[in-house]
Amino acid sequence: MDVDVVVLGTGLSESITAAALSKAGFSVAHVDANPYYGGDEASLTLDELAAWADSHCTSSDAASPYTRSQRAKFTSISCSSSSLAQSRQYSLSLAPTIIPSAGPLIDALIASGVSRYGGFKLLEKVAIYDGPGSVKAVPGSKEDVFKSKELSLVDKRRLMRFLMFASGDFETTKEIEGKAEIPFVEFLKDAFSLDHRSANAIAYALAFCISPSDPTLPALHRIKQYLRSTGRYGPSPFLVGHYGGLGEIAQGFCRTAAVNGTTYILGRQIASLERPKSDSVDERLKFKIELEDLPEQLTCCLIVASPDYLPSQYLPGTTEARPDDQSTTHSAHAVARCVAIIDQPISFLESQATAIDHSAGENPYVEENESSHAATDIDTALLVFPPGSLPEGSATVSVNVLVAGESSMSTPRGKWALYVSMPLLDNSNRSAEELLRPYLAATLALTVQHSATTIQPLFTLFYVQHADPSSESRPDTSPVIVAPTSSRRLPENADSATIQAEGMFWKAIRMLKASGRRPLQQRGEEESGIEDEVDVDSFWPPLDVVDDPSDDW
Amino acid sequence: MAYTQTQIGVRSEASLQSLVLRFVKDQFDDYRESTIGAAFLTQTVTLEDQTTVKFEIWDTAGQERYKSLAPMYYRNANCAVVVYDITQTASLEKARSWIRELQRQADPSIVIALCGNKSDLAARRQVTEEEAKKYADEEGLMWCETSAKTGEGVQEIFTAIAKKLPQNAPPSARGGRPGPAARAGVDLNKQASGTPGQNEPCNC
Repeated sequence: MDVDVVVLGTGLSESITAAALSKAGFSVAHVDANPYYGGDEASLTLDELAAWADSHCTSSDAASPYTRSQRAKFTSISCSSSSLAQSRQYSLSLAPTIIPSAGPLIDALIASGVSRYGGFKLLEKVAIYDGPGSVKAVPGSKEDVFKSKELSLVDKRRLMRFLMFASGDFETTKEIEGKAEIPFVEFLKDAFSLDHRSANAIAYALAFCISPSDPTLPALHRIKQYLRSTGRYGPSPFLVGHYGGLGEIAQGFCRTAAVNGTTYILGRQIASLERPKSDSVDERLKFKIELEDLPEQLTCCLIVASPDYLPSQYLPGTTEARPDDQSTTHSAHAVARCVAIIDQPISFLESQATAIDHSAGENPYVEENESSHAATDIDTALLVFPPGSLPEGSATVSVNVLVAGESSMSTPRGKWALYVSMPLLDNSNRSAEELLRPYLAATLALTVQHSATTIQPLFTLFYVQHADPSSESRPDTSPVIVAPTSSRRLPENADSATIQAEGMFWKAIRMLKASGRRPLQQRGEEESGIEDEVDVDSFWPPLDVVDDPSDDW
Repeated sequence: MAYTQTQIGVRSEASLQSLVLRFVKDQFDDYRESTIGAAFLTQTVTLEDQTTVKFEIWDTAGQERYKSLAPMYYRNANCAVVVYDITQTASLEKARSWIRELQRQADPSIVIALCGNKSDLAARRQVTEEEAKKYADEEGLMWCETSAKTGEGVQEIFTAIAKKLPQNAPPSARGGRPGPAARAGVDLNKQASGTPGQNEPCNC
């Protein structure tokens, strides 16, 4: 099979790139070594997740580059062995995420038409941990601040002033002058006289800072985006994707790619990938890829790949071995993760002193199926632990717990998935389980009003996910485009994958043009001698009218 | 009463797409290249009791070729139509393997219809009606023979499916996997009305 581009890996950024390239008219073959879509962002059933954990633990020498890379990337794995009933009713994410309602991913979903394949729900709440058994809701908008009955007028005015500032053109204001790089928490205290509590809530639960040293300007840009997201689809700025989120969204982009002619080959390891020397000009630039258990050979002039798939000579930085390079980038973005399944709902019993009027009763966007729960039981929410909030937890990083229940289509009725994520900024030799147990326990304590004793999770999986090798040093003209690591910040993850996909798309378009490849619908004209430069001029071409089913809804 | 149904099609040797086009648009195109499909097509069937069933038909777009069908298809499907070619024995074998896959992966309440296409080419038949019917009965599948070319049997099978669906698949029960109507949640193409974000400086 000869195609313009072979895409290796069905993670979100590769899947978006495959969809965009095939929509632009290029022929694509899309390969994944796993039998499922989504790569490191896959949505898996409970049994599949347990099998994933198993396969990443077993060591065997005769492994493909993909398997070796995966085993190096996912470490410190411990999985409770008990398997649960209704495994197939779970859709658990390897990359739990919340998605801002206004941002690159949502734009791409709408522009590509993929929005109609997937479902989303609004995140009900963002709350910040406020001591054992208690949390406080984070005011996500000026309206929240205004409606709050407990904030003092002075506090309200300060918070309002800050939110006005953050939603405006703050780049040129005197407040930010010379302070763009200072730690955000300090900035909040200095420039807006906010107290420690409010500054913490804003820095960790509104700007999603990872540590107290996160700089001011990027944090302000994030807050601006989230404020802009508020109200687009409802009162919350964030969406939770159905069926595990990113894995399902990746499938949607793959489907669009398939509809536009992309060939899908899953569950095959790469047996060989090479670019043989040849005298023929046409053949010279071609890669030849052989897959296990597939007699057909793939040939292409361009490869877009997750770094997991590439032999070391195609990876940046590894040829001129810089010994310190790998280790620093690894620890910089590593995340300790936990997936736990519980059978009692979490309740956010908001602490009296700072309760903010946030009752679900007057929320016009609450979906029907939630009304069966008591007002404080939550089905989808994000709980933020700022640095130092647990004595046995981390004093330097912020930890997030995403709760996803039945309404996110990721668990059966009466079960909830808890996803704990902790950025690892320094090399710690503690296991993922040791690091995250305290946070899991503190979260489980929030179920206590339903039962006398703290509940035990029905299933737990702990692991550390390391970063992909950096791909920054890659020259622009390489015929192997390596997908960069997406941001691991929870609400930034999907948007950063989308931005990277667009970058890879344009790089691919330039390369394809340079090697004389043209979109399929233009090839006929070329043969008939019409040298008409028709350029690909947008990431997503306009949606066909026949493509758009909106009139029948 | 209106139901929205999604169904998936598994394209076998005989192109499901031609069958779907016959059903939806009453067209047949001998030369249609079967690799590039439409995202999905819709068609409404009105039954004798005035119940209308809206079909939302997802073409598998070739993703079945290397057994790479996404779970997304199974999740939302109330019905699957698996097509074989009556002039090729091997195509029934393929259909069988897909039916096994559907029985393994999809919701147990899914309605599976097995269609022997190309009934207009009965002279070159390799798969007998008896053989296919027997297999369908054993597996509890709906079965019929169709011709996308002449339109024979096409309307009938979709009507038969429509009749079977309401009892089998309540439109939005979570017990079975929800159909698109129950996907509910947020429609990304429809912004929340009435409450524009309070922080939308008009810089468009």
